[in-house]
This record gives sequence, structure tokens and C-alpha cells, in this order.
Amino acid sequence: MASIRQSFEIPGKMKTWSFALMGIGIVALIAGFVTKGMSKDHHEQDIFLGTLMYNTIFWTLVCNASMFFLCVTTMAWGGWQQSFRRIPEAISTMVPIFGAITLVVLLYVAFSGSHIYHWTDTVAVANDPILKGKSGFLNIKFFTIWTVLAIVLWSFLGWRMRKLSAQADEAAMDGETGAKFILSNTVRAATFLVWFGLTVGSTVPWLWMMSIDAHWYSTMYSWYNFASTFVAGMSLVALWVIYLKNKGYLEYTNQEHLHDVGKFMFAFSVFWTYLWFSQYMLIWYSNQPEETIYFKHRVQGPYKGIFFLNLIINFICPLLILMKRSAKRNYTLVTFMAVLIIFGHWIDYYQQIMGSISKEHVTMGWLDFGILSLFVGMMIFGVSKALASKPLIPKYHPFLKESIVHHT
Amino acid sequence: MSVKYESQLREPLVYGNKTYHDVTEDIVRPIEAKPSKLWYIGFYISVCLLMFGVYSVYREVTYGIGQWNLNKTIGWGWDITNFVWWVGIGHAGTLISAILLLFRQGWRTGVNRAAEAMTIFAVMCAGQFPIFHMGRVWMAFFVLPYPNSRGPLWVNFNSPLLWDVFAISTYFTVSLLFWYSGLIPDFATVRDRAKTKLRKHLYGVAAFGWTGSTKHWQRHESLSLVLAGLSTPLVLSVHTIVSFDFATSVIPGWHTTIFPPYFVAGAIFSGFAMVQSLMVVVRKVFGLTDYITMGHIEAMNKVIVLTGSIVGIAYLTELFMGWYSQNKYEGYTFWYSRANLFSPYGWSYWGMMACNVLSPQIFWFRKMRRNLFVTFFMSVLVNIGMWFERFVIIVTSIYRDYLPSSWSVYYSPSIWEIGFYLGTFGLFFTCFFLFAKYFPTIAIAEIKYVLKTTGESYKDNMATIEQKQADEFAHEYAH
Amino acid sequence: MAKKKFVVGCFDNEDVLFPAVKKVRTTGYKIKDVFTPFAVHGLDHALGMRETSLHTAGFIYGITGTTTALSCISWIFTKDWPLDIGGKPHFALPAWIPIMFELTVLFAAVGMVLTFCYLCQLAPFVKKHHFHLRATDDLFVMVIECTENTNTEDLKAFLTNNGAIETDVQMAEEGWWIGRYDKDEVLFEGATA
Repeated sequence: MASIRQSFEIPGKMKTWSFALMGIGIVALIAGFVTKGMSKDHHEQDIFLGTLMYNTIFWTLVCNASMFFLCVTTMAWGGWQQSFRRIPEAISTMVPIFGAITLVVLLYVAFSGSHIYHWTDTVAVANDPILKGKSGFLNIKFFTIWTVLAIVLWSFLGWRMRKLSAQADEAAMDGETGAKFILSNTVRAATFLVWFGLTVGSTVPWLWMMSIDAHWYSTMYSWYNFASTFVAGMSLVALWVIYLKNKGYLEYTNQEHLHDVGKFMFAFSVFWTYLWFSQYMLIWYSNQPEETIYFKHRVQGPYKGIFFLNLIINFICPLLILMKRSAKRNYTLVTFMAVLIIFGHWIDYYQQIMGSISKEHVTMGWLDFGILSLFVGMMIFGVSKALASKPLIPKYHPFLKESIVHHT
Repeated sequence: MSVKYESQLREPLVYGNKTYHDVTEDIVRPIEAKPSKLWYIGFYISVCLLMFGVYSVYREVTYGIGQWNLNKTIGWGWDITNFVWWVGIGHAGTLISAILLLFRQGWRTGVNRAAEAMTIFAVMCAGQFPIFHMGRVWMAFFVLPYPNSRGPLWVNFNSPLLWDVFAISTYFTVSLLFWYSGLIPDFATVRDRAKTKLRKHLYGVAAFGWTGSTKHWQRHESLSLVLAGLSTPLVLSVHTIVSFDFATSVIPGWHTTIFPPYFVAGAIFSGFAMVQSLMVVVRKVFGLTDYITMGHIEAMNKVIVLTGSIVGIAYLTELFMGWYSQNKYEGYTFWYSRANLFSPYGWSYWGMMACNVLSPQIFWFRKMRRNLFVTFFMSVLVNIGMWFERFVIIVTSIYRDYLPSSWSVYYSPSIWEIGFYLGTFGLFFTCFFLFAKYFPTIAIAEIKYVLKTTGESYKDNMATIEQKQADEFAHEYAH
Repeated sequence: MAKKKFVVGCFDNEDVLFPAVKKVRTTGYKIKDVFTPFAVHGLDHALGMRETSLHTAGFIYGITGTTTALSCISWIFTKDWPLDIGGKPHFALPAWIPIMFELTVLFAAVGMVLTFCYLCQLAPFVKKHHFHLRATDDLFVMVIECTENTNTEDLKAFLTNNGAIETDVQMAEEGWWIGRYDKDEVLFEGATA
């Protein structure tokens, strides 16, 4: 048996593509800054900043979902994911980078006196009893501290998980060291998950996104956003797995593993829809103006098309296409669905943030796709770098053999 | 054929040096033996409780809902609290069988049969409450939509209470089918080794003429997988719809969008606690400690701490939004009626917090997860806490609503209201005792399926595999 | 139903069973069935069975359920009995999703179980011939149908050589009949030839 290919060599084509995408992105960013960012019109400025906001937040959370996946499967003593675990690890290395960009963008939005976060406007707050009441949570100081803390700790705790994982490359583990290794894995995973629950599972989406509609509130909001980014995160993992398989890497990963990743994509698409429906239906049913205002322009106004497109891409398509067993085992179909799902949830983030910033007009255009291409380029570049820097298979991981014989 | 391999780091799921035949022997033994004294005592106590419940219900049906201490303000007291509590408990069985099957958690095989049985009995208990809450229970068939002679008079399909009718009955039916289809091969096992004529006949009828043909097993596997796939969203939908009973309204404390997933997490939480309470006892009484091991108990305790923490995040989210919304009604409900310990029902909120969120955190420690006494104690505590949760949601939200003239501070149940609740315990345990005596309490065929992968004596043989290098191993075994 | 002659070989280990199945099939014998105490993974493929399409049936039943719910409720609430409920439109789709979902699951589950029972001929009071009582306990029972040319002694020896711990020849009814398991009904003479 030929030995396994452990080191990933970044294909020239991939490099070219990532540079091209980043190039397009930078051009779009500069053009956007000149035409919108420096515009005298506040509305145009907000659109520019909002576009940056939803892209940065989306990509940070999607990459962070990879680490969430690793930690959850570690806690559940999963064996099947070990043969491709370096992929979610590599994706999660983007959290500090995208996180830093998010930090800059969000702090700029908060401090620049832009109109996006209405609660940063001290005059408005003083005259608004509701905002005044909320100021214990919605204030720049807390916003800054919590945002910094969230991003730094995600990065740090994720880094600790990856660092531990490197031990599985070094030397064979006997029963005792193996057990110790698994134990420290679970401890680190648990730490990450607790912090994840306190941030992504609750506070961070409220602070970063829900507060754009400063009066509006929904207790479901954070869990909904978690589901959205998690399913997109799993799709991203699937894309990288398939890419590496096509290039002849990941010898121990096969259709069986892809099938399970596909199950996650399917199940969490349905789960996302479940949360979407629960939030929407409850607000629709009780029909209270302070709540329905959020959906007014989304369902009946200019965002109508995007609103239903969101449902079709993120629910109907995965439901019908990924339901069949053979579809989840088909590389082409899973690739197609993964791209579609990532795009679908990017659209979801678009309507969540831009739908609140620019209520009268749908602004989807060259700037959105340009910034998207910037982030995709960075993601491809960063993840391929991270993949190349480490062996692709944790050769001595105690559960690797279970992954090798894994079958569904 | 696939390789029977599992990492040696995992605990065996079946202890002892078992063969397939031993598995049959061990699990069928309680069915073939005479029940112990303990069984009779437990069974008679349950029947007595059930009788008391029947009498309480008789009073309620004869004299009307007035037999309960409900009042105009608190129209949903113990009755609906108990309903939601039992439905919640009825979630663990399907969860263990379905979701854990899809996630391939091997330890489910030891406990799924009993958990599913528990699910069915719990749903039966739950169903009693809304039915008798109708008052004129003989009119209960009015909730079914059928063409009738009352003019074009239909049920209200827009009402969450009607959704409940569909959800609970579907859930009961599907759980029953899932459970029974799993039981068929095991009944056949009991039938084929029966020594008495009566047993042979009865289990023969129950086993539907199962022979174990390969084609039948293939279809059976497909059926189980699809039923599991269907039950997973179903189990979510049931408690979701129960939560809609509250959340579609405009009552402060009820109308909150996180209710559906938070109710589901709570249901799983309480269901696992109930499974835990029962299993800790059953494994000892029927001598099944080789099959329901400390590993099983520990795994369930992990689920308990996980779901307890999710529920905790939901409690805090609600509490936070009660303030963040700056809606004074929400704020009043959450911060006065609930979180204020010195308000009339503050005790129930803090009881809930203590039992559901704080105390399960003890299960972060492995020693505690593997301690039978702590496990049993905690499982009871969690179920008390989950009862408090429903009581908090129902009573603290409605005892003071928008109309101060109808505020009612004090509500305490009558003896017949309590009797009804005790009666459902009687029903539940009567059924469970009968199940434990006459049904295979562990899925025999499923244990045999995993035996050679996770049985203790087979795991020792894997030492040679563990010595191998990954590529060598892959070369030999990978498909 | 016709009674036929079968050669039965019992195995006590699935690791022996798989090679035996392969051998028997390549030699040209026709395996009628293998009775096992639990679902042995991959045995259906080893026997050359096609995949079951039970799940496809389930999908169709499910769709039927959704359609039933949606068409009934929309007819009732828009045509037969349109009422103003909470100011909502008569066609209040979001409020119907729960029932649509429940009926989907109900139809799919009930339909599939009934189809399963029909295909496998499972029902109370149904009785079938059992080639070996321990097939539901710990034996894997391979049943080979005899033709006129089959030399049963050779075949038995062949099975023993391939690891069968017990072999015999049985005359058996192929299908099912209504009967009780506690009564030894002799439907035909010479159940064991």
C-alpha cells in the first residue's frame, strides 16, 4: 500500500484563484469606499458599512462553526470525523483573521457615529425611554469589551484545541496516553462550548445584529443565527473535503464520511427552517406591532423576493435534494448543495442586516458580490495555507481507526 | 461484511463473557421467572394509586371542574402543568431511539426499549389531562374534524389546542408503531423458547409470525431507519406545538419566540431524568447490570447536564429579554412575578432554577456521573424541577394579568386535583411494571448486533488491532 | 401453497456464515433464505438481494399526508366554513403547517408499517414453518431449496465442510397459514423427511 499523502501542496491554480478573488474584492472595496463610503449621503455610507458588517460577521461565524463542530463531536466521543478533522481545524484558523476584521468594522460602526446602531446616538437615546432603559446593555463600552472578549476567546480556545490535535501527529499512543489525550480534548472542547453558548448561543447576535433594530427583540434570534451559520459551516467543511478528495488527498475519507456530513447539512437545514418557522409564526400569530414591524418590509415590502428566496434555497432545496441517501453520497450533488447552502445563508445574513439598515430599497449589487469575493478569496487562501502547514491526517489519533472503518 | 472494531478506549457496552445465547437467557429470564415480592408490592401500590386516580376523575366527571380549585384567573393550574410535564417525559424514548440511532450512539441499545415503553405510558398519562379538563368528557370527540350534522361546523384549525390533538395522537401512534416493530423479533425469541402452552400462544400472536428471514430483516432495518428519521422531527414538533399553546398568545411570559426549542430541550432533559430514575432501579431488580452499565448511566448524565445547561441559557435569555424589551408587562412578569423570591410564587421560580440549572452542573464531574445514588437523587430532583418549570410558566403568568380586578394571588389544588395527578402515576407505573415483567426490557436483537463490537470479551481481542499502524490497518480492513 | 424439500444448515458464527454463503452460491445451489437472530449487516448483499424500496413507499405516503391536510383544511376554511379568526386571512397557511406536518408523519409511518407487514406477511395468528427454533436465539440457519437433481447427502456434507454445526433435510410449507404456535398442527405428513 502506498503511504498516505500527508502534506497538502497548494495547487498553483488555487493560489491564482484566491488572488484573483481577493483582487476583485479589493477593487470593489475601494470602489465602494469611494462611491458610497465617502458619500455625503448617510444612507449610502450606511449601505457601505452594512455590507462590510454582514460579510464579516457571516464569515467569522461560519468559520467558527467549524470549531463548534469539532468540539461537539469531541464531546460526543465521535470517531468518524477523525479522518478529515484537519479540515475543520484549518477552517477555524480563519476565526482570528476574520474576527479581527469584524472587530475593526464593528468598532468603526459603533464609534463613527454612523446611523446603523441607533443606540450609539446619545441625543436619540436621551429622548427615547426605551433606549434609555436598554442602555445598560446597549452602550459602547460594553459593546467593545464583549466583542473583543468574544473574538479573542474564540480564537484562543480554538487554538488550544488545534494545538492539542497536533499531538496526534507525533507518536503512537498506548491505552493510557490515549485516554489522557481524549480526556484533555473533552475538557478543552467543553471550555470552548461553554463560551460558545454564552456568545453565539445568546449575547453576540443580539449585540452585533439585533441591536440594529434597537427597539425590536426576539428571544429566538441567537439560536436562529447559530443554526444558520452552523449549516453553512458544515457545507464549507463538505466543500473542502470534496476538493481534497478530488486532488487525491484524505485517503481514509470516503463516501461514508461524506454521507454523514451530508446528513448534518440536511438535518440542520431542517432545523434552521424549524427555528425560522417558530420565530416567524409566533410573531405573525400574536400580531403585536412592536414585533411585526421587523417582518413588515421583509414580507410585504421590497425584501419580499429575497425573503422567499431565502426559504426556497435554505429549506426546499436541501429538503428535496439531500433527502435521498444516494444524493448525500454523490460528490457532485453535495458540492452543488454546499455552494447553494452557503450562498443561501449569506443571503439570509444579507436580509437580516441590510433589511434593517436599508428598509426602503434592496441594495444587492456589485458591492455585495465584490465583498463576498474578497472574503471567499481570503478564506481559500487562508485555509489552504493552514492545510499545507500540518499533516492532513492525525495518524496516531486513538479514534482514527474507527474513522477508517466507518460505515453508515 | 464490515469489520467488528471499536477503539479500546471505549468502555464495553456489554460486560461479561457473553455469547448470543447468554444474551437471550439474561434478558428473557425475568419474563420466564416468577415475579419477585418486590414486584408485587410495587405493582399493588401502583394499582392502588391508579384506583385513587379513577375515583378522583369520577368525582370530577360527576360534579364538574368545580371539584378542582381552579378559578377564573388561574384556569390552567395543576392540570395543564401535569399535562406538559408528562408529555415532556414522553420525549426521551423516541429521542434515545431515533436521534441517537441517527447519531449512532451505541449506548442507546441498552436503554432504548424501556425508554420507548416509558414514552408511550407517559403520553397516555399526558393525554388524560386535557381530555378531562374539557369538563364534559363525553363530548371529547368534538375535537375531531369530521363532517357532521351540526351544520358546516368544524374545529378551529388555526388553534394551537387543536394542533395538540393532532400532535399528541400522531406522536402516540408513531411511537407505538416504532416500539412494536422493534419488539416483534424479540417476541419471536421469547415464543421460540417458551415452555408453557399459554406463553407460546400469546407470544406467538404478539410476534406476528416472525421468522428472522434475511429479506425481512432488510426491510425491518429500512423501516426502523425511516421511522427514526420521521420520529426525530416529530419529537421536536410535539413539544414545539405544546409550547405554541402558550407562545401564540399575548400573555406576558408566554409570548416569547424561544419557547419551541427551549421546550424541546426541557422535554429531553426531563425525559432523560425519568429514564435514569427507572433504569437505576430496573437494572438492579432484574439483574441487568451487564447490559445497562455505568457507561450507560454516565452517558445519560452527560445528556442531562447538556440539556440542563441549554435550558439554563433559555431561562436567562427570557429573563434578559424581559428587561431588554423594556416592555413593562414582560418586565413585571419576569422580574416581579418570577425572579423576585418574595413575590407570591417566587419560590417556584427559584425552585426551578435550583433543580434544573444549578444542581445538574454537578454532572461536570465524572465521579458524580458514575455515582448511582447521586444519579438517582438528581434524576428525581430534575423531574421536580421540570414540574416547577411548567407551574412557573402557567401560574406566574396568569395569576396577575392585564386586568388587576381579576388578580388572584392564591391557588392551591384540591385533593381531587392532586388525586388525578397521583392516579396518572398509578397508570404509569402499573403499565411499567407489566412491561418489565412481560416484555423483553432490553432490545435483544440489537444487543446481539453490537455484541461482537462492544462486548467486554470481544474488546480484548482488539488489542492486536490497536498495535497496528493506521496505514497497515487501512490496507487490511478498509473497504 | 406447496410443500417443498429443503436442506438446512445451521451456523453459530457469522464469520463462518459469510464465506459459506459465498461458497454455496458459487457452487450453484439456490439459497432460499438465511434465518438470523438479528440483522446481520451485508448479508442481504451477500445473498444477492436487491435493496428494499420501502422508504420510497414511505415518501409517497408522506406526501399523501401533506396533501390531505392542506387540501382538507383549505377547503374547510376557505370554501365550506370561512370564518374570521383573529383577523387572519382565510388562507392562513402558517397556522396550518403544524397539522400538515403531523399528518405527513402519521401517514408515512402508518403506511410504511402496514406495507412492511404486508410484504413480510406479518400479522397476529400468522404461522410459518420454522426450520430451527434457535434461529431467533443464536443460530444462523441457511435453507437451500432442493431440486430433483440435488443429492441431499452431498449437500449436507458440503455444508458441514463449510462450517455448519448442524444439518438436516426438511419437507416444509413455503408460505404462511393461520394457526397457533402452541398447537402442533401437522398440515402435511412427514414434516421432517
